[in-house]
Amino acid sequence: MSKSQNKGFTKEEELLLQDFSRNVSTKSSALFYGNALIVSAVPIWLFWRIHLIEIYSSLILFVVVTSIATYLLALAYKNTKFTLKHKIAVKREEAVTRDLSKKLSEDKKMSKKEKDERILWKKNEVADFEATTLSIFYNNALFLTIVIICSFYLLPTFTPPVNYTVSIGATAGLLALLSTGSQ
Amino acid sequence: MSKIFLIVACVAFATTALCESCTNPQITSTSFTTQDATIVTNIAYISDFTLKCGNGEASTLYAEINGNIVPVSIVGENQYQVSWTEDTKTARSGDKVVRIFDEDGYAALRKALRAGEGLASVQSLSDVVINHPGAYNGPWLQSELLATIISLIIAYFAISFKLKVTA
Repeated sequence: MSKSQNKGFTKEEELLLQDFSRNVSTKSSALFYGNALIVSAVPIWLFWRIHLIEIYSSLILFVVVTSIATYLLALAYKNTKFTLKHKIAVKREEAVTRDLSKKLSEDKKMSKKEKDERILWKKNEVADFEATTLSIFYNNALFLTIVIICSFYLLPTFTPPVNYTVSIGATAGLLALLSTGSQ
Repeated sequence: MSKIFLIVACVAFATTALCESCTNPQITSTSFTTQDATIVTNIAYISDFTLKCGNGEASTLYAEINGNIVPVSIVGENQYQVSWTEDTKTARSGDKVVRIFDEDGYAALRKALRAGEGLASVQSLSDVVINHPGAYNGPWLQSELLATIISLIIAYFAISFKLKVTA
């Protein structure tokens, strides 16, 4: 998004837009990339100890495949989070409003606008947290399941490096692709 | 010529006298069977036994294993060994009885075979029991199958949570 497009919005509107945009905060991004790195590096153990891949001669392969898988998984987290956040926000709206209204009703000084803003902010926070955790859990569970099935049942006849590259690459790619859907 | 014949006859008589059947046999045995069948295709059975006869050493011994007659190896003084292998699929656990025969018993076995009679009717010199406790054929549930099942259960929960939220 270029700066010229943003000129028409106030600071508050920009914040609101940011809350519901596909872009994630640096903190959230770090969480996604960190998690994706761990999850895409975990299968190295499986291939090293179970599929008996040569660990030292495959170091470059590990680095390349893990980097690609990390990027794709982080993309999948981000997209899934975006899809989920809106739906969670709608689902939790009523409960958050009721809960916060009860708390804020004692404060007579606060204007209605401020109360609404607080509710909106809280709703966004709740939806953000829930969407982030569910997105990470969902993608991790699918990633590890598909990797196990691929490496043990679909590609066991291939050599371990081919098995590793295809199962990790294809799974991460598939998840990234699936996350672009709107459901 | 007749002298040579006489010597041969004497030697033959002496040998026969030496090979008289074993009386009051006392047998002690130790045995080994394969117990880890994860990387082998056959189960080995080995029985090492000491046979002492009341009237000196025994002659050549034979053993009947699963209806086959095999010669018993001599590994030392009064020490004998008999071994064979069976396919891992057909090898059953439990006690295996190996019947031991001397020359006379062997002759009786051959006679029974020729006559088409069962080998069980021939009296054995002694019996050796090999206990096979059963071989380990690997885990009942393969670890990759277990890993797949667990990950599928977790994936099922993940998908159902997501569907619940998006529905």
